[in-house]
Amino acid sequence: MEEAHAPGSWSTWFEAHGPRLLLWARQWTRSLADAEDVVQEAFIRYWRHQRELPGDPQALLVTSIRRAAIDLARRDARRARREERFGRDEDAPFFEPVPGDNAARRQEIEAALRRLPSEQREVLVLKIWHELTFEQIADQLGIPLNTAASRYRYALMALRKELNSLCHG
Amino acid sequence: MDESFHEFEAELKSLRLRRPSAGLKEHIARALAAGDTAGPVRRYSSATNLGGWKWHGWQLAGLAAVVALIAAAGWRNLSRRDTATPAPAPASSNAFAVAPVPAPVPSASPARLPGVAATNVLYDMKDEGPVYLDGDRAARRVRYRFLDTYTLRNPRTNASLKWSVPRDEIRVLPASLN
Repeated sequence: MEEAHAPGSWSTWFEAHGPRLLLWARQWTRSLADAEDVVQEAFIRYWRHQRELPGDPQALLVTSIRRAAIDLARRDARRARREERFGRDEDAPFFEPVPGDNAARRQEIEAALRRLPSEQREVLVLKIWHELTFEQIADQLGIPLNTAASRYRYALMALRKELNSLCHG
Repeated sequence: MDESFHEFEAELKSLRLRRPSAGLKEHIARALAAGDTAGPVRRYSSATNLGGWKWHGWQLAGLAAVVALIAAAGWRNLSRRDTATPAPAPASSNAFAVAPVPAPVPSASPARLPGVAATNVLYDMKDEGPVYLDGDRAARRVRYRFLDTYTLRNPRTNASLKWSVPRDEIRVLPASLN
């Protein structure tokens, strides 16, 4: 993530890290469009004001995205009503197909992931796709380190159990 | 961590995450190129987005009300002047007659709307992150959003006008970022 400190390289940096930022934003937003708005707001704020700060840019952005998403959710209650009427794009997939992958398996994983309790899913997303340590995750979410580790373990167990039941059921 | 989870973790990591849309990248590029310090251009309107159509609507409505009030006051002045033509004074035979005292000028003309109240409501406060003053002094940039409301009232006619204007105030507060 150090390349984020290089001036003028936002496009390359965003190309590499945008997908995981978007996935994180989607844990907190009702639709893909909202998630992109939140990523946009957090990324611009980061790039203008925070990129010279010491520390892990990803951790800064994770915090920033979470706050922006919560702000958006609070102030946009009206949007929720509108989306109820006109439908949402929250079913837009988290993952993209890769040539030769098992599409059914990918969809099952995603479905199981969506069914996880949100507090487990957010820890899983930060650990697997943001590659944060449990210490960083605990710090980000304001929870004890052991809680972060146990939520991660429960999330993996729940996912695997559900996928196994699908395979054998 | 359970060793048996390693394979499953690897499988999850191998999934390719959905990429942000090209539109998002375009919006970011445009916002960064514009160097707009007021924050990113949102693609949605919200209660705190003062650039939204509804705020322009309120501004236009306020402007229209002011114009209408001024026009009404002007028309009333004009019609009063037409009807109240002063009668010619009778010729005085007394050469030393005292000059007539002019009628007292009303303290408030019909068109005058002195301000009687001003309030402001802070409806949003946003920490926009750290900034550096003179290159090394750390500070935080905080945006306060107010709605200023002015009430004007004519004491003679009791006509009143309320004028609400959104206002952003940016304060740079010294802070330690350690």
